[in-house]
Amino acid sequence: MSVDTTRISEAIAKGQMDELQAITQKALDDKVDPGTILNQGLLPGMDKVGQLWREGEMFMPEVLRSAKTMSKAMDILRPHLSEGDLGSAGKMVIGTVAGDLHDIGKDLAGMMFEGAGYEVINIGIDQPNDAFVEAAIEHKPTLLGMSALLTTTMPRMGEVINSLKESGIRDQMAVIIGGAPVTQEFADEIGADLYAPNAGSAVELTRQFFHR
Amino acid sequence: MSRKTNYKIFETPQFQILSEDQKEKIYNGMLRTLQYTGAHVHHQGARELFEKAGCKVDGLRVWFPPEVALKALSSLPPVTEVFPWDGDASKKIVIEKNRSYFGPGPTPPNFIDPDTMERRPYLRKDATTVARVCDALPNMGYVQSLGSISDVTNGLADVYEFADMIRNTTTPIMSWSFTRSGCRDIHRMAVAMAGGEEAFRQRPNYIFYGEPISPLVSDFHAIDKCIYCAENRIPQVYSPCAIGGGTVPASHAGQLVVALSESMVGVIAAQLISPGTPIIIGGVQSILDMRYSVYSYGAPELSLLSAALTEVVHYCGLPMYSTSGCTDTKKMDMQSAMEAALSINAAMMSGANFVHDNGYTESGLTGDIFQTVMDDELIAMARVIEGGIEVNEETMAVDVIHNVGPGGHYLYEDHTMKWFRKHWQPTLMDRNSYESWKEKGEKTMKDRIVEKTRDLIKNHEGPWKKVPEKVHKEIERILKEAEERIKKHPDK
Repeated sequence: MSVDTTRISEAIAKGQMDELQAITQKALDDKVDPGTILNQGLLPGMDKVGQLWREGEMFMPEVLRSAKTMSKAMDILRPHLSEGDLGSAGKMVIGTVAGDLHDIGKDLAGMMFEGAGYEVINIGIDQPNDAFVEAAIEHKPTLLGMSALLTTTMPRMGEVINSLKESGIRDQMAVIIGGAPVTQEFADEIGADLYAPNAGSAVELTRQFFHR
Repeated sequence: MSRKTNYKIFETPQFQILSEDQKEKIYNGMLRTLQYTGAHVHHQGARELFEKAGCKVDGLRVWFPPEVALKALSSLPPVTEVFPWDGDASKKIVIEKNRSYFGPGPTPPNFIDPDTMERRPYLRKDATTVARVCDALPNMGYVQSLGSISDVTNGLADVYEFADMIRNTTTPIMSWSFTRSGCRDIHRMAVAMAGGEEAFRQRPNYIFYGEPISPLVSDFHAIDKCIYCAENRIPQVYSPCAIGGGTVPASHAGQLVVALSESMVGVIAAQLISPGTPIIIGGVQSILDMRYSVYSYGAPELSLLSAALTEVVHYCGLPMYSTSGCTDTKKMDMQSAMEAALSINAAMMSGANFVHDNGYTESGLTGDIFQTVMDDELIAMARVIEGGIEVNEETMAVDVIHNVGPGGHYLYEDHTMKWFRKHWQPTLMDRNSYESWKEKGEKTMKDRIVEKTRDLIKNHEGPWKKVPEKVHKEIERILKEAEERIKKHPDK
């Protein structure tokens, strides 16, 4: 059995959450291979959304709605997937560092990664350095995301990276950082793998990073 | 001579976005939001203060009944004065309805280097540059730094900025700080400049800027600094950056309701601490560009929202902190001028009290003193329009018209001698003939802005030497103590 890629693509683009969940459940019931549902159905559907966004046909709230739709379908699909099916789209831990209560940028990025098939664990705002390390140990993410909007809280991101090193788990994940005052130079300075100037580009940059 | 009865005069242009009914509706929307939604206040002392005043508190959440909000609004001062530290009456600020002062904005991480014209991190020396240039610009009514200093001890950018700026301009400063400790250090410096605590109370010489987080969150430091300012009767701003479609509803009326409610938390706290203490609200009001995920500083919605919020804020009896002269461009170009011209004129017409961000580029991420210099000229032009037209027998000049008659000219009439100097003269706009423009080097607007800015940086010294030696020493001492403080308590 194959999947109805046209319907999936449409449900994702239009942000029809119930519809997409129903399609996904039906495909599983019909014994379609879960990897096929993901790689031939959901991910190409989300790619199409990305393309429409780049072309200026879709806007951010619509893309986020699509990402949420995708993530709800993933909730149903994920238990049936093997690690190989997911490719690089694994788990992500994301949060805003200690002393910083700004959450919109971090939430945007998290939603975009959910849309790309990631399982996103959002640990929230004002998170002490240890909370990032503990979450990394507990969830074993492939990607750790940190955000800061204040120049005073930016150094926390470097401290978290150091703590990851001390815990001997730095190499197990890529680290991506963002936030208005953050720059590529700062990312290089503190030893982050990736810097994204905005939530929209974060997923694409991460994909390129894992495929290089 | 007889007079006209029931004669109605407009001395200045009449500009209005909202009707009285619309203003009342948004005001009520604010009261409903404070009462039924409330706000998060990450400060136990403030929550206790609110609870004692009759608010409902549960965890971080505080709900404000209308009577608490109304009581706060009833104790606001109708007028407040801020004094230049050297006593220059021409630079005095009077905070009252529909009186506007323009200035730069606070804290972008980057700055356009005045020599290379390239973007780089904001440095300590830039605070002095901005202070001196603004000191010389006649249309900058108050000064902010256009950046956050990157080359001093982390956590002391606020204190160094103020120490350098207040001694390099007599135009009143609008300062900011990370925490109450920074706020206290800044205040000590201001008191030293004023000549003591009592002198400061009589003649406050700066304004403090603080910011809650949209939507409806007052973080610990924001409300802590707000309380400190109220305790010390420091005129303060408490205003959010509300992001239309992001942190507040995408519909403009909804944005006004949330933005107003967020600021009211600070107004209520300040008035509970010290009834009558001056506080200004408003903030950046613009939309999230949904294609580029950028908080737009050049959007026409910024002007529309800011003007509308000005009306509602004035309806509440509060002064307004508005926005203009800013742009989404990365380098000075036609877009930066177009966006600045439109927003400056709208802000001027709206009658906002303080209009900030003149000199913001790259959507608020880069300060650009060249943009500020350009804005200064635009503000002067907008002031001409705001000035309106005086209509009376003298200005209608019917007798002069009769004397000159058909044909002829007015060039050397007494009446012309008296009135032509009221015409505005540009400092940057080019009105040369083609020939003289060519002869003078075919300069573009960008050339002239760069030339004027660099000339001010090089030649306008500012008042540094007027500061008494013992005040310099006191400020240096405060800076040294701040270094010790941050070593001991990096987060306080």
